[in-house]
Amino acid sequence: METAIEVRDLVVVRGKREVLHGISALIPRGSVTGLLGPSGSGKTTLMRAIVGVQIVKSGTVTVLGDPAGTARLRRRVGYLTQAPSVYADLTVRENARYFASLYGLGAVEADRAVVDVGLGDAARQLVGTLSEGQRSRASLACALVSNPDVLILDEPTVGQDPVLRDELWARFNALAAQGSTLLVSSHVMDEAGRCGQLLLIREGRLIAEDTPDGIRAAAGVQDLDEAFLRLIRAQDRTATTADGGR
Amino acid sequence: MIASLRAELLRLRRWPVTWVLCGTWLVLNLAFGYLFNYLSYRSRDGSGFAENITDAATARVLLRHLMPDQAPITLVAGLPMFGGALLLILGAITVGSGYGWGTWKTIFTTRPRRHTALGGTMAALGIVLAGLIAVTFVLDLIASFTVAAAESQPTTWPSLADSAQGFGAALLISAMWMAAGVLLGTLTRGPALAVGLGLVWSLVVENLLRGVAGLLGPVANVTDVLPGTAAGSLAGAVGALTQSDPNGTPGVTAVIGGTAATILLGAYLVLFLAGSLTLTARRDVTT
Repeated sequence: METAIEVRDLVVVRGKREVLHGISALIPRGSVTGLLGPSGSGKTTLMRAIVGVQIVKSGTVTVLGDPAGTARLRRRVGYLTQAPSVYADLTVRENARYFASLYGLGAVEADRAVVDVGLGDAARQLVGTLSEGQRSRASLACALVSNPDVLILDEPTVGQDPVLRDELWARFNALAAQGSTLLVSSHVMDEAGRCGQLLLIREGRLIAEDTPDGIRAAAGVQDLDEAFLRLIRAQDRTATTADGGR
Repeated sequence: MIASLRAELLRLRRWPVTWVLCGTWLVLNLAFGYLFNYLSYRSRDGSGFAENITDAATARVLLRHLMPDQAPITLVAGLPMFGGALLLILGAITVGSGYGWGTWKTIFTTRPRRHTALGGTMAALGIVLAGLIAVTFVLDLIASFTVAAAESQPTTWPSLADSAQGFGAALLISAMWMAAGVLLGTLTRGPALAVGLGLVWSLVVENLLRGVAGLLGPVANVTDVLPGTAAGSLAGAVGALTQSDPNGTPGVTAVIGGTAATILLGAYLVLFLAGSLTLTARRDVTT
């Protein structure tokens, strides 16, 4: 399968602390890849590096064949930040139309994106009056409106009810089926099974890169939460053994 | 750039803040430019409204400034201080709120380019500003013709040259203050601090410094070239009564000449806009 994002030996230092320790990963085109790991594990930093707004110490990040952050990619990469980025004193529809205008698109695309995230009924509502989950979806609509080739979504399903989460994941998979590449971060393991591929990250290190079934097989359990735990313990044992051998 | 301009015009058009600030300016302009002066003129015969208008000459001056041919001057008179402050708020909130709500972050990481995005915002603000000044001028003309008709005074239109001069001066003064707001919004990456700092500067600090300049000569060299001084001096050069005049407008001065004030305001405008663009382009995008 063709690669959309290639990360090679990525090291990132923020402040005086190294937060990514030589991560390498391949993300195939037209897929939904889950980036899973606990809070503070480096998910957002890795996403920032892929979007091209993170200063990297060493290593390379290539997106659609170009170095991350290059001008040519700006039209092809969409980014949903963890905190919603929409104007609270505009309605959902006005926000979507604002972003659509920025991308040279019209009201039709904007309204479609609003419906796609399940906010059709709240389109005329001020964002400031929405719940946290709705606000997050309004922000997602703005990220989806330009239909980018690569979508980097930082915890887009946090605070959503199960029905909406299900709908959002269905939407993500539909986008992937149409050829878009999605990298979706989450710290909720039960979402892992909805991804075509998983990157499990902990303390700035990639501890697994495989399909959900591949990870289940490697860990020897069906439950992905348990599989993640086993992989962590195996990694810890390996590190302890290596330290003891010195 | 066109896409950014369209997007920002859409935002400013739908944004309650724009209408509130522009509406406030229009009401204040009419109130202080016409309503209060006219009430003072009408109540000069001992109703208690205008105790300082004791002679016919003062009353004539007051009425003279309410006539249609003086509308270009009235348009400019309120801008150096309270009009400028309102437009500074609009500039600061327009840019600062993008940082506050995180929308700049998304735009800067995807598209358009930072210069283009902020350039679109500046252009949209410029269009709003030009429209606001035009509407203000029209309202001032309507108010002045109404007063002239009510007082059976000749209704002489302002000359084209005076109108152009007044419109240009109003645009330059208001654009400078708005650009100052844009710079503050960019510097502070938020609306609240930008508005607070801008208002303290425009309404308090400059006046305090002018007070100090009266005591310490060298300070005057600085105060003579401050943005507020330049704005007030241009308004004074166009014909607005200075704040030392009993009927004058706060903020209007005659410290420097019209040409020097125009050059200074132009320089501040360019400096504030270029500073905002440079800062935006060079700073890290935080998430």
